[in-house]
This record gives sequence, C-alpha cells and structure tokens, in this order.
Amino acid sequence: MMKLRNLKFALNSAWQSFWRNLAVSLAAVLSITLILILAGVNLLVGHAFSQVVDGFRLKVSEISINVADGTPLQAIYDFQDQLKADPRVASVKFITKEQALLDFQADPNNAVFAQQIDGNPLDAKLEVRVFELKDVAAIDLLGRRWAGVDPTDPTNYQGDFVNRMLELSSWLGLAGILLMAILVVVSVVIVMNTIRTAVYHRRKEIEVMKLVGATEWFVRGPFVIEGIMTGLIAAAIALSLLVIAYQPAVERFHSDLVFIPLSYDPTFISSLARDLLIGGALLGALGSYIGVRRYVRI
Amino acid sequence: MVLTPDFDSRPIISFQHVWKTYPTGTEALRDINLVVPEGDFLFLVGPSGAGKSTLVRLLIREEKPTKGKIFVEGIELGRMKRRQLPHYRRKVGLVFQDFKLLPNLTIYENVAFALRVLGEPDDLVQSRVADALDTVGLSGKELTYPANLSGGEQQRVAIARALVHAPRFIIADEPTGNLDPATAWEIMQLFLRINARGATVVMATHNREIVDLLRRRVVAIDAGQIARDDRSGRYHDEVTKPQIRAQ
Repeated sequence: MMKLRNLKFALNSAWQSFWRNLAVSLAAVLSITLILILAGVNLLVGHAFSQVVDGFRLKVSEISINVADGTPLQAIYDFQDQLKADPRVASVKFITKEQALLDFQADPNNAVFAQQIDGNPLDAKLEVRVFELKDVAAIDLLGRRWAGVDPTDPTNYQGDFVNRMLELSSWLGLAGILLMAILVVVSVVIVMNTIRTAVYHRRKEIEVMKLVGATEWFVRGPFVIEGIMTGLIAAAIALSLLVIAYQPAVERFHSDLVFIPLSYDPTFISSLARDLLIGGALLGALGSYIGVRRYVRI
Repeated sequence: MVLTPDFDSRPIISFQHVWKTYPTGTEALRDINLVVPEGDFLFLVGPSGAGKSTLVRLLIREEKPTKGKIFVEGIELGRMKRRQLPHYRRKVGLVFQDFKLLPNLTIYENVAFALRVLGEPDDLVQSRVADALDTVGLSGKELTYPANLSGGEQQRVAIARALVHAPRFIIADEPTGNLDPATAWEIMQLFLRINARGATVVMATHNREIVDLLRRRVVAIDAGQIARDDRSGRYHDEVTKPQIRAQ
C-alpha cells in the first residue's frame, strides 16, 4: 500500500517535472527521437539486408555436382548415399540427363536456345543443399574429388562470391553493433543532462525532501520515471515516423535498384515497435539512473 | 509551563571531543564536548563564522566530524550508514531562517509533504496536518500559498512541517533571523510550547533580546570552541566574554 502511494507520488512528480521543464524535456525527447530513428533505420536496413542475404544464402547454399557421362548408376547412388549421410548436408537430389534437359527446356528464358540444341549436351547432376553456408566449400571439394564428377565442369560453386557475401554480412553486422553502441552512449549522455537540469530546477524540493527524511530512492524515483517517460515518448514518435516512411522508402529503393530483392515486410513492424519501445525505456532508465546516482545524494 | 530537563538522565545528544576541519583547511569546530538531556531547550550563540551552523550541519548529518563522536539517542552519527539517514532525519524537526517552503505548494501541501515522503496514508496525513496547523495557529489558511503569507506566518508553516511527524527533538537554525521583534517573539512562544510538550530544542540564534529574556541554557561558541555553557544564561557573558556581539 505504501509502495503504491510512493509510486503514485513518483509518477505525479515525474509528470509535473516533465511539464515544468518543458523546453528541456522537449529538447531531450527530440534528441532521443532522432537517435531512435537512426537506431530504427539501422534495424530496418539490417533486416532488409538479412532478407537479401537470406535470399542469396538459399541460392548459394545449393550446389550442383555434375556427373560425367558414362558413370555407372550404382556409383552415383553410392555417392548420393554418402552425401546424405554427411551431417552438413540437408538434402541431395539426383537429376538425370533427361530431367536436366526437360528442366532446361521448361525454363522460358531458354526457349530460343532450347530449339537450337541437338541431342542432350547437359550433364546429369546431384543437387546438394547444405545446412550452413560455410560448409558449401567442403562439399564442393568432396564433389570435385569424386571419381564420377565431370572433370570439365565439376560443380557450379562460386567460392569467391559466397566468401564475399559472408564477409560483407559479418562486417555489416559489426558496423550495426558499433553504430548502436554509439547511439546508446549519446542517448544516455542526453538523458543524464536532462536529469541534471531537472535536478537543478527541483533542488529546493530535493533539499526539503532530504530534510524531512525521504529515502534516497524516494527522491531519485521521479527522475528515473521521468527518464523512462522521455525515452518512451521519443520511441513512440520515432516509431510512428519510421512506420510512415518504411513502405515508401522500400518501394523507392526497389524501383531504383531492381536487382536487389528488397521487400516491404509488415511483420517486422511489430518487432521494430517492441525493440524501439523497450530500447527507449531502457535508454531513459539507464541515463536517468546514472544521472540521479551522480546528482542526487542525500 | 516550563519543563526542567533532567541533566542526569541519558542524554539525547552528546558531542565527544568533536573536531571539524573542512577540506579547505578551515577549522570550524575544535574539541567540542556537549551533552543535551531530553527535554532541554538550548540556545547556541556566537558571532557569525563561530561554528554554530557547522554544529547544526553535524547534528543533521549533512557533515561528518573529522575527529570525535556525536551520539543522538545512543546512535553514533558518524557511523550511520547512508540508508539509515532518512530514518534518523524523521526523528528530527528542522527549522531554518529561510523557511525552506515550496512556493508551488499550498500551506496544507507544504506541511503534508513531510508525511507524503514517508508514504503515510491520506487520512493520517489530513488529521496530522490539521493538528500541526492548529498548533502553529494557521488553521483556515490551508489553501493559501507561501507567497501570500507574512514572514512570521511562513515560519509558522515551517514549524508545522517540522512538527507534523512528531519529532523527538527540534533543530532550529536562526529561526527568527528574518523576522521583526514582535513576530520573532511569537515564534519563540511557539518553540516554548513545543518544548513544554516534551520535545528537545536546539536553536542557533543571534537574537540577544530573546535569549536574555528567556534565560534558558546558553552555549556560546567562539572560534570553533565552546566558550561558555550556562544552564540559565544570557547572550553575552558580561564578566568574561563581552566581545561576543550579535552580527
């Protein structure tokens, strides 16, 4: 009951203080909003990039091992079984020469070329999908060493491309984390300064509270709540702006760079909302916590 | 009615060889030994800069002694942990020269504030605030703001706030410093009534007329040391310390 009364007091004080120092409060809200927009854009770009990478990942995590003409069927099945038994391999599909030709002819992009070919120049192949992209190289090597592989065109593996994608993906991840860390530090400093100003404005009240026997956290509580409030309001504004801008931005980007398979993902908005609101509240709490520990002592 | 303090009873406040030197090197108090029994009414007198305010700050544990020990109700203030401080300050009623009222709160809210920070329920706050305002003679002014009160009335509000949680002792630092003689006398009457109800009062003051008129215990501080401790004293010690003058 007493805790509830203290909470009510803290909420009231925080609300009053927010309005009493409106200029400082709004400056803090705007600064945190800008930071959270940057953080949100970072999350959205990260998500878009991971969508693109996932698309590529799916494509490049599958390689075709071409079978030399005249390889006995039993040898192919044996190698297929060996691959299936490999824990790194998700699936193996044997495509016969005939099936390969049918697939080639069925592709509308090959319509003109298909009419011109004579006989069946295509290889039979084993389409191997691996679980982890990093294992593609090892499976490729396994295929190339297999006796039944077509020595002129062993596999369709593009090692360089996969490695570059993996490298780019990890660098972008690192850059995202670094950017987030900088944003966290900047927002914590902004909230701390807001709290310092609020503490200055309420120094008389704090002095009286101290003299009448208020506990340290009774005095500090309203400032921490004010910090959380600042973070939440900023997060709500940043979220609204990002939600409004997300779809048009993706469409614009998509029309400019058609070859990058970027798409609008409405399901990501709920996780963005959760991340921004929790992030905003935590930033506010952290900044004000550090602020009150520094500036409010009884 | 005047209660005679029992000087043989357990002291409510005790200073034992207390020294206070500030980081700047200023020696504010030197070897202070002082015992205040329960129910005492003690005037701290002396010129500005003599160490009265430092003594008050030590008593409310805004400062710690550099050397020596201060006991209040048997608890050593220097060893008190920070989290225990609020509980200690709730036992003390504090009154200052500048009233320390919150201008954006009404009189009722200012007095209630001392109970609100303790998380007391509304009904208890209401009855205690009504009693305290009645004691200081401000019933009916609950909804007034401090700016609309005279200096004397503002000090009464501050006293009501100091009394509202029924403290065992009151520390007053120049409570009449900003008041005219007639109002100062009214405020003193209030302190006497509070003392008569059993609360111990320690008051730092420059008000010579009142000290001389009341003839209560007078502890004179000069250059950080206790120059004189008279059970029924005057502001100046005519024989040994005529140089102590109110500033």
